[in-house]
Amino acid sequence: MLVWTLMIQMFSVSKTYPSHITALSGFYLEIDQGEFVFITGPSGSGKSSLLRILFGAEKPSSGEVIVNGIRLTQPGFKKVYQLRRMIGIISPDFRLLKDRNVKENVAFVLEVMGVSAREIEEKVSEILRLLDLQERARDSILALSAGEQQRVSIARALVKNPSLILADEPTSVLDEEMTEKVMEIFSDFHQKGTTILMATQDTRLIQRHPYRTIPLMPGKEGGQESKDEVRPEGCSLF
Amino acid sequence: MFAFLRFAFRRAFRNMKGNLFLNLTTVAIIGISLLVFSSFTLLAYNLTSLLKIWEGKFEVIAYLKGDLSLDQVEGLLKKIRQLDGVETVNYLSPFDAMAYMEEKLGGQKDLLQGIRPSIFPASIEIRLKKDYWGHTKIEEVVADMKNIPQIEEVQYGQEWIDTFSVLVHLVRLTQWILGGLLLAAIIFIISHTLQLTISSRREEIEAMQMAGASPAFIQVPHYIEGLVQGVLGAAMATGLLFLLYQIILVAITPLLKGWLSGIPILFLPWETIIKILLGGMILGLFGSFLASLRFLRYSR
Repeated sequence: MLVWTLMIQMFSVSKTYPSHITALSGFYLEIDQGEFVFITGPSGSGKSSLLRILFGAEKPSSGEVIVNGIRLTQPGFKKVYQLRRMIGIISPDFRLLKDRNVKENVAFVLEVMGVSAREIEEKVSEILRLLDLQERARDSILALSAGEQQRVSIARALVKNPSLILADEPTSVLDEEMTEKVMEIFSDFHQKGTTILMATQDTRLIQRHPYRTIPLMPGKEGGQESKDEVRPEGCSLF
Repeated sequence: MFAFLRFAFRRAFRNMKGNLFLNLTTVAIIGISLLVFSSFTLLAYNLTSLLKIWEGKFEVIAYLKGDLSLDQVEGLLKKIRQLDGVETVNYLSPFDAMAYMEEKLGGQKDLLQGIRPSIFPASIEIRLKKDYWGHTKIEEVVADMKNIPQIEEVQYGQEWIDTFSVLVHLVRLTQWILGGLLLAAIIFIISHTLQLTISSRREEIEAMQMAGASPAFIQVPHYIEGLVQGVLGAAMATGLLFLLYQIILVAITPLLKGWLSGIPILFLPWETIIKILLGGMILGLFGSFLASLRFLRYSR
């Protein structure tokens, strides 16, 4: 029986926007199941584009993308929603529903997946407790600070216990203490086998957590040089 | 499946409640559009039923030459019965004709005082088989009758019925042309209202798409919304039409008493009402489907 060990494969992926801005050019990437990888680079280096391609929000201009065995670049690929069910997405702009409270925002993800009300209650309470949000469960999103909103968006991504977490600057507005707490939670998920791809510009964070790091440079061909070269345990390319 | 439908209906009604004014406006516009269409349907329905009544009463009357003996009349009736297309024949003697006139004049029958029945011609009322109600076929039967020497004159009201029939067809044609235009307008209105409500919930829809909601999960509540708008609009149209019908019955019918004697003004039958409601539902569904094509797909 063939066991698929790669969570993400990208072959020669390029992404050029209609405004002729090239976000990715000839990009290669392989990420194993259960791996924790940082994507780093300055603004405009294509980190967000890379993540958006991986959860099917954008199509690459060329190249091949395979996530958990699903070929996203297959012509006529329509099952984006099936792919997203296994992915926890953390957006830099949070994308929270402003007319709902904290608990409803987190529960919403499970509702759309058809999870039972009892299970939703249990899972939401647990993830809110992990992120120190249980006291704010009934509060409106608009009443939260930016840091709290970011934690809600993290809770929303994690509550469905995803196989893959795509986190775009998930700690950008968190204080150091909360950033470490979130990293601990990510580490716990990682220990349980969740693959995590995290885009960040926080070099100190990367230094504190020596996972594989893939640097991106604006408009340059990139990705990992070779699998062996970039994957010494505990060593960063950055 | 049941849980999904329950969720979809709950969401649809929550969405409608959230955009109450927009939804009520849409329902009102659909209602008024369908009211125009169903008014023509009602008019055509009544004219058709009137046509049927007149066609049912349709007779050819053959006036006979004077002083025919009973034997001659018997022979004539036999001859007419044998003609193609004749269903029944009824002989009216001059006395019968006079009695008929007296009945028609009612309280003014004294006008006939001093008039002898013999001034009325004897006649034969001939009912034709239904297959012979067409214009050409009636002409054939009438031509056969005119060849009978004892018959003075043949009268029938076919031309009037033909004219009325053309009027009914015109009303029906207007109904369908107008219906077609209104249909397009209703689909356009529903589609655009839903596009407005969808764009007002864009954040929520995007959040659903990010979470991996299935297309059905996102789209079905909007289809339900369109369907409910359509059926409410149709119900409103039918209700208003019934109100108008009642007003016509109470206010206008007494004024036309003499004209409308024996002719009922009918409301639409149940089957037509159900068809209008179903039509509203289908229009609503189609409008929401068009809106979803533009805004509810997973785009990449």
